[in-house]
Amino acid sequence: MRPVFALIWKEWRIAVDTPLGYVITVAFLLASGFFFGDRLFLTGQAEMRSFFSILPVLLMFFIPAVSMRALAEEKRGGTFELLATLPVSTMQIIAGKYVAVLLQMTVLLGFTLLYPLTLATLGNIDGGQIAASYLAAWLLIAVYVAACIFASSLTNNAVVAYVLGFSMLLAVFLLAQAAPLLSPAMQNFLYVISPLAHYQSMLRGVVYMEDVVLLLSLCWVFLVAAHFQLERRRWM
Amino acid sequence: MIHSEALSRYYGNTPAVRDLSFHVKRGEVMGLLGPNGAGKSTTMRMLTCYLPPSSGTATIDGISLDDDSVTIRRRIGYLPENAPSYNDMYVTSYLQFTGRMHRMPTATLNDRIGEMGQVCGLTTVMHRRISELSKGFKQRVGLAAAILHDPECLILDEPTTGLDPNQIVEIRQLIRDLGKKKTVLLSSHVLSEVEVVCDRVMIIDKGQLVGLGTSSELANRLQGGSRVDVVIRGDAETLLKMLEKTLPDVEGEVLDVAGRDVTDSSRLRLRYTSSGTALAEAAFHAAVACGCTLLEMRREQASLEDVFHRLTQDDRT
Repeated sequence: MRPVFALIWKEWRIAVDTPLGYVITVAFLLASGFFFGDRLFLTGQAEMRSFFSILPVLLMFFIPAVSMRALAEEKRGGTFELLATLPVSTMQIIAGKYVAVLLQMTVLLGFTLLYPLTLATLGNIDGGQIAASYLAAWLLIAVYVAACIFASSLTNNAVVAYVLGFSMLLAVFLLAQAAPLLSPAMQNFLYVISPLAHYQSMLRGVVYMEDVVLLLSLCWVFLVAAHFQLERRRWM
Repeated sequence: MIHSEALSRYYGNTPAVRDLSFHVKRGEVMGLLGPNGAGKSTTMRMLTCYLPPSSGTATIDGISLDDDSVTIRRRIGYLPENAPSYNDMYVTSYLQFTGRMHRMPTATLNDRIGEMGQVCGLTTVMHRRISELSKGFKQRVGLAAAILHDPECLILDEPTTGLDPNQIVEIRQLIRDLGKKKTVLLSSHVLSEVEVVCDRVMIIDKGQLVGLGTSSELANRLQGGSRVDVVIRGDAETLLKMLEKTLPDVEGEVLDVAGRDVTDSSRLRLRYTSSGTALAEAAFHAAVACGCTLLEMRREQASLEDVFHRLTQDDRT
């Protein structure tokens, strides 16, 4: 376990010591704050539905930015060879990378807790529903980060990793938008595999085990795919 | 310490390393020499468990590569080509990270980092960002990270490329000092470096071993005789004829007119089949006999450079 913590610590150090993390944090808070405040004053209701419905779109832009460098940069700089020759398994490398990015995104999401706290002073909020929504948002982040880590494992160029990650998340978003146009069988299938469907189901304030399990399984699938991608050099 | 048996690696159908067998003794500095693309890095990547061999195997400290790669990786220090490191990190944080990856306890780790700073001459840059460092310092940071956990065995891929002459001297000295206690496998295409630093040399070309031994062994094997360069005042041809009376097999070659200060001199390169001093002595007596003044005489050792060219270019020409 110690090497995984060492990796998380290293990623955290780099995030704290370089400007990129701060730029992303500020941009994310500006955007999310705008979408939260925008509707609030219009409707005058103490609820966060509009914030949570726009959140997946924001994540679509920000998560690829936070995760693009994770593996692509290591491969480009040759440091991946260093990592892979240290006494750690590839799965530990991926676990470290994944948790580190997830941690950064969790901190980002943590900042938005200011919104419900502000709301609580203005009116009566539905605490349970907001808590379920945060859990849903965090699980959605977990899936998106896993997908973008996979995107980052496919290339050694961070910009390409961003575009790949963004395209994957965009595809998820567009499929969810197009769902009503599809055949019932396709709709059902989409409901099972689309992380957005499970996210939206949880926003109602009800946490179903199946939603949680499916979102976690999606994380697992992407991480295993990333593992496979990193191990590929061995068979080439 | 390092024992390789018929190690091979193919990229698709292209062989990068073929049937490479060698043995590096404990406490020995072994040089891995070869032209670019000969398979040096691939060999090192296999030994460090980055790439699995296509066939054959190797053991490090008695542990086979395919048995327990994590234990092997714990016992080696590896400096990949171009000494990659995290440009966004500070030198201390980077070394801390490497130590933690090796599961070093925090107290020993901090002591070791201080020690490595001394050994590798990093004390002045410990709190600088790696991206701000010169190539020489980056190389030293990489080396410090490789020896931080005090490994038995060091694998260094071209540790001195891109350094200026002063830095090269420093790094070589450092490697020589390390080589007193540790087993070192070091690759290079700089011949003089290998000659100075390594106990034994292994030359590979197109993925195959073409020579193995100390640099003088390799040179002798290749030379199979002796060579003497002389500069005389007098006629070179007369000397050569005189010399052929005592040593019938001698080969002589008149080189360019030597010396700016002595205009009527000739430079001769003499080769003779047997080694030893016979040729030099005969050349001296011949010069006396034909009345030539001997201005200069030098017995030439075939250099590693000659060996290298001979071994790696034979089949190309």
